[in-house]
Amino acid sequence: MKADIAVVGSGLAALVATRTLQQAGRNPVLIWPGLSSLYFTYATVDVLGYSDLTATQPVEQPEAGVAQLIADHPDHPYAVAGLDALRSGTTLLIEWLRAAGFSWQGSLAHNLLLPTAIGTPKPSCLVPDSMAPGDLRRDEPIVFCGFHGYEDFVPELAASNLSRSWGRGEGSVRAIRVSLPGFDASRLFTSIDLARSFEDKAFRQEVASRIRREISVDGHRLGVPAVLGLTHDSDIHSSFATQVGHPVFEIPTLPPSVLGLRLFDRLRKHIQESGVEMIWAAPAHEAEVSDGRCRRIFLKSAGREQPIDARAYVLALEDTVDGALRAGVHTVVDPFFHQSLAHHAVPTERTDESLFKPQPFASIGYPVTDRLQPSDDAGRPLAGNVFVAGGAIAGYDPVGTKSRGGLAIATGYRAAKEAMAA
Amino acid sequence: MITEEIGTFSDTVEEAAPVEACTKCTACNTVCPVARSTEIFRGPKFLGPESERYRSQPEAAVTAGLDLCSGCKLCEVTCPSQVTIQEYIRRAQNKGAEEKGRTLRDWVLGHTRLLSRFGSMTAPLANFGNRNPLVRLVMERVLGIHHKRPLPRYQWLTFERWFKRNSLSPRGGGSGRGGLATHRTVAYFYGCWVNYNERRLGEQVVAILERNGIDVIVPKQQCCGIPAVVNANMDLARKYGVENVRRLNGLPPGVDIIASSTSCGLMLKHDYSHLLDIPGAEQVGARVYDICEYLWMLHEAGELNLDFQPVTTRLLYHAPCHLKSHGIGYPAMRLLRLIPGVQLEEVDEGCCGISGTFGVKVEKYDLSMKIGSRLFAAVKAAGSDAVLADCETCRMQVEHGAGAHSAHPIDILARAYGHG
Amino acid sequence: MPDTTTGVVVIGGGSTGAGVLRDLSMRGIDAVLVEKGDLASGTTGRSHGLLHSGGRYCVNDLAAAIECVEEGRILRRIARTTIEDTGGYFVSVSEEDEAWVPRFVEGCGKAGISCERISVEEARRREPALSKQVRTVFWIPEDGHLDPFYLVMGNVESARRRGAQVRTYTEVTGFNRDGNRVTGVLTRDTMTGEETTIGCKAVINATGAWAGFVAKLLDVEVKVVPVKGVMVVLSHRVAHATINRCHKPGDGDIIVPALSVAILGTTAVRVPHPEVLPIEWEEVRHMIEEGSLMADGVSTARAMRAYAGVRPLYDLGAEAEGREMSRNFAVIDHEQRDGIAGFASIVGGKVTTYRLMAERVTDLVARRLGVTMPCATAGVPLNDRDDELDQLRHRPAQVGVPKPHGDELALQPLVCECELVRPQDVAPWFEDPAVRTLEDIRRRTRTGMGPCQAAVCSYRLAGRLVTDRHQDGPAATRAMADLLETRWRGVRHVFWGSQLRQAQVTAGLHLELFNLDRQLMLEKSTAPAGHFPPPQGEGQGGGVETAEVASQR
Repeated sequence: MKADIAVVGSGLAALVATRTLQQAGRNPVLIWPGLSSLYFTYATVDVLGYSDLTATQPVEQPEAGVAQLIADHPDHPYAVAGLDALRSGTTLLIEWLRAAGFSWQGSLAHNLLLPTAIGTPKPSCLVPDSMAPGDLRRDEPIVFCGFHGYEDFVPELAASNLSRSWGRGEGSVRAIRVSLPGFDASRLFTSIDLARSFEDKAFRQEVASRIRREISVDGHRLGVPAVLGLTHDSDIHSSFATQVGHPVFEIPTLPPSVLGLRLFDRLRKHIQESGVEMIWAAPAHEAEVSDGRCRRIFLKSAGREQPIDARAYVLALEDTVDGALRAGVHTVVDPFFHQSLAHHAVPTERTDESLFKPQPFASIGYPVTDRLQPSDDAGRPLAGNVFVAGGAIAGYDPVGTKSRGGLAIATGYRAAKEAMAA
Repeated sequence: MITEEIGTFSDTVEEAAPVEACTKCTACNTVCPVARSTEIFRGPKFLGPESERYRSQPEAAVTAGLDLCSGCKLCEVTCPSQVTIQEYIRRAQNKGAEEKGRTLRDWVLGHTRLLSRFGSMTAPLANFGNRNPLVRLVMERVLGIHHKRPLPRYQWLTFERWFKRNSLSPRGGGSGRGGLATHRTVAYFYGCWVNYNERRLGEQVVAILERNGIDVIVPKQQCCGIPAVVNANMDLARKYGVENVRRLNGLPPGVDIIASSTSCGLMLKHDYSHLLDIPGAEQVGARVYDICEYLWMLHEAGELNLDFQPVTTRLLYHAPCHLKSHGIGYPAMRLLRLIPGVQLEEVDEGCCGISGTFGVKVEKYDLSMKIGSRLFAAVKAAGSDAVLADCETCRMQVEHGAGAHSAHPIDILARAYGHG
Repeated sequence: MPDTTTGVVVIGGGSTGAGVLRDLSMRGIDAVLVEKGDLASGTTGRSHGLLHSGGRYCVNDLAAAIECVEEGRILRRIARTTIEDTGGYFVSVSEEDEAWVPRFVEGCGKAGISCERISVEEARRREPALSKQVRTVFWIPEDGHLDPFYLVMGNVESARRRGAQVRTYTEVTGFNRDGNRVTGVLTRDTMTGEETTIGCKAVINATGAWAGFVAKLLDVEVKVVPVKGVMVVLSHRVAHATINRCHKPGDGDIIVPALSVAILGTTAVRVPHPEVLPIEWEEVRHMIEEGSLMADGVSTARAMRAYAGVRPLYDLGAEAEGREMSRNFAVIDHEQRDGIAGFASIVGGKVTTYRLMAERVTDLVARRLGVTMPCATAGVPLNDRDDELDQLRHRPAQVGVPKPHGDELALQPLVCECELVRPQDVAPWFEDPAVRTLEDIRRRTRTGMGPCQAAVCSYRLAGRLVTDRHQDGPAATRAMADLLETRWRGVRHVFWGSQLRQAQVTAGLHLELFNLDRQLMLEKSTAPAGHFPPPQGEGQGGGVETAEVASQR
């Protein structure tokens, strides 16, 4: 199949690259090998949470933080993509979310600080409106609300931790539980079942009245697990807050991620509505390169390998979570150019002794040129018209710095720009 | 590549069985239309890879609720680890039926072709009966088919017989018509639906191919087997598949195989080899094309007859779930955008809910209508001349649930070629 | 004045100690068991879980083989809930193996081990996983899987129902003596530091590989040689029967289906100390390579983790390498041997013969205490029930279970989805004072032992620490992190393919979504690391780091 520009990937980098191309009047095809970490790590878009892997003080101004990082680490993918790409990509994403009907907020100027499901403050840059009232830069006291029989969000745990790390005085962080009408604690119900029920106004009304009985004082904000509806429609959140009589904020918790579901469902539909074709279920591999350019890649479609002949390619891949890289016992191989991206005599070399320290493995990926082309050991581009974006770029660890979203945006945007010129 | 040396475990890339690749991301549960619509379905993650660790030969620990899997395969399409979730569920369900025994309904629905043949032979009567409330109540009681579910009309003249009489293409040879001599021959796998229920679609497929100078042959064929697969009778499906594979592999080289039903096409391309382990199925799968996929390929090769009459119409396109599994995008949309006058928009509201024989069943009808409710609402709100879908049961469901006219994309193309 | 007084103090919470505790309690003797880690956290919990038919010993150690046969039959009667009758294959894969075959047949005959030679075709029909290299196959119906955790817990619960007590995380630091007679045991809580004295009439040293350290506290020598064995766990059952290599016992010659996983084992390396158990890559690789000689799918399976255990080989005087020392056991009557009354040690042996070992040492001590009631442990099921169906339903995670059990799970909530653990399976353990870490919950319920290695269930367990056990957030979070860390220690050694991807998902959830790494840097808990006190909730002192080994599996 012929295409103008093929974007391969399932995360934020792929989406931003696709949108960038489409806005510029090009005809991208989004090749989608399956869902990726979009689902739970993209509840929010994190640009830079911490300045390095061990800093405990959250970054307050992400743009300034990235600028500093670029100055300190000129080889970092943020530096390669460039601050302009981060700025432009973020603007593009914010406008896109708005155009697609999402209510999100945030900017590169300031991080919000939101409590996680274990009650830890976490810096995030762009967040849904339904999460924003939890911003810990505000002082209003917080009540975490869980549901009887629902073990995927433990308000008592969150409250206990947050009261120590943030607490604004006695009783400023509390936990309550209510039972949900129609949900029997002895039967299985998932976040999705709850979210579906919350779409019903009468259900919300009843839950709201049960909550109101537990919070008699004004001025509190209510933190609930992220189950306020299955769609991006923010009316459910705002009407529920009205019914409860307090600001309400959602907290993402164990998978399945309802926030990710809303994001993916709507963005995907919006892309397609704007005329971009999405090829589902097609893991991509095998770049055919001649004369320094990639002529085609292949998709593992049903029945046979499907060639995609495009002018340029953006490989917006996440690590190994979406199968982008294959990690063998000793060697990590890229499925497009068959380069050995890393070799370890012993598998433990890929890891730190502690799960909570930075892992050597997280930094493995495609080495890239200053134009984000995948390169060989000597820094030469493997193909002039292929560009890499997202977590599969070598040399950075998004986990410890909470910067996955920002890097996706910056590299996705930059790669798209480069692809247009290729 | 796994090194071939026995017992050597050196620098290899693991090629574990798909079920082992599950990383519990739960993405599958978020896209599963059944899990989204009801609390009584545990979801593909649990019924697939999680339960699979507990299913052993020779006894399957059958987990209740397997029958609630509609077979849409959206879980497989979404899985970032490429776990073949639906295959595991089907095999477990099949095993359960082997042990517990199949119901009359399993038998009837699995033998769709037989049923349809009977319906076709007795067409006026069968059609009357299918619409008669009393007959339907008895059918619901005896067979478990919901009385509200509109059943397809049967046609006395089958596509097979029509083709023998009417096609321009003599079997196995003939010259091109319509100005393009492409020297291509395709074999049309028409499927039970076209044969017994919508012969006109088959006529249009043939007309379009012949308009493009392609000779059409229609090999003898058996049901593709998907109704048997989803009604817990994989042995029957395999029997059909073996027969089909034998015949299709007997086609001369260079003859591609076309299917106009998404699910038939997927069976031929993929499930014959992956789910049913039929020898020789991979060779067949490699030459099977969805009709729109094929026509688009012709277009990219510069071989498509672009002599279209304008067709002024406002259309919605609903991509069948199984089309996503093909991994080819939406070729129908690309094709139709070539036709002047066509205004086409995708209506993407997920699964229509019917999932083949799933939504026909008395205990699943309401669920199937609930699953499709978003789609129905969007179709009604958009208003259009027709909702296009490559899958026949999707078309049935959209007509029933949204009260909209539904057609295969080929219908528009046929009109563009002047073949009303 | 001692803080508590009892009849017998049993030191060691492995299968032997648990078996002794049960035996004592069934003879009406008051007893307290002290264990410095958790029950089954030493050798027993790290065994490969083989219920020995004896086939592995019948050539070189006939006595041991016969013991296995007899005890295996007894265990099938009394410990149904802990056993899966998988049966086993002994297979030869090379010319050298073929030379062993006649000796194997002879050995089985002498030991009374039922052994049937079957054709390779028939074997493959029954067990498709058998590899292409397999030449000769024997079917040994009495091989099976014995779950070491359920075994220990079953014995302990049986004893507790009869009034026995258990103290975990309680280390013996010394003894009180009255002349040459032991009158009490000095203990220290390894987490709180609290010291206690238990007055007693006798002490049984059932500490296996640590027997020498305990004996040293009385200036008595018990020479136990610690021999390390590494095991690799595959995330699913490769085969449904055990597969043993029919050869002179060596490394990597067994694959055991252990409930929902397969365990490849093992190596035999002398180590200087039972808690120094490094896992070398060469060992992991070797296990997989040797395993793949016997079964297909081993080298391509998802490796879930690797771990190491230690065998307590009793040096009967021979200076032989680990495996060739006897696995027979010995009861040491220290009154006779060393002039110390009220102290006996039980050393050597294996899990399969735990009950017999317990019987022998309990016979000795009971006699000395003047108790004439004979041993009753072989006659009564561990859970004191005869109900056939209940025996099988006792465990949450099973294979090939009667269908009602499978279907029952259909819509029940699960705390651990990988291992089918329900809330009602974990809840009682949060009430148990002997349960003090989330690893302890894991050992008792299998929570966290599946492919995701506690990625999801750890949060739910931490939640219950707060709601059921009234711990504060930092303590619960620390406990959650510790569970993930100990799982990680095993995963690191098989860090490739799907398990590597799993770890990324786990990191994505805990580090990126929950920000757990920063929580650990920030938290200031008054509770010691990973420890939560008994439900009565006293004694929170300075934390003591649990030994790396104790939480390695």
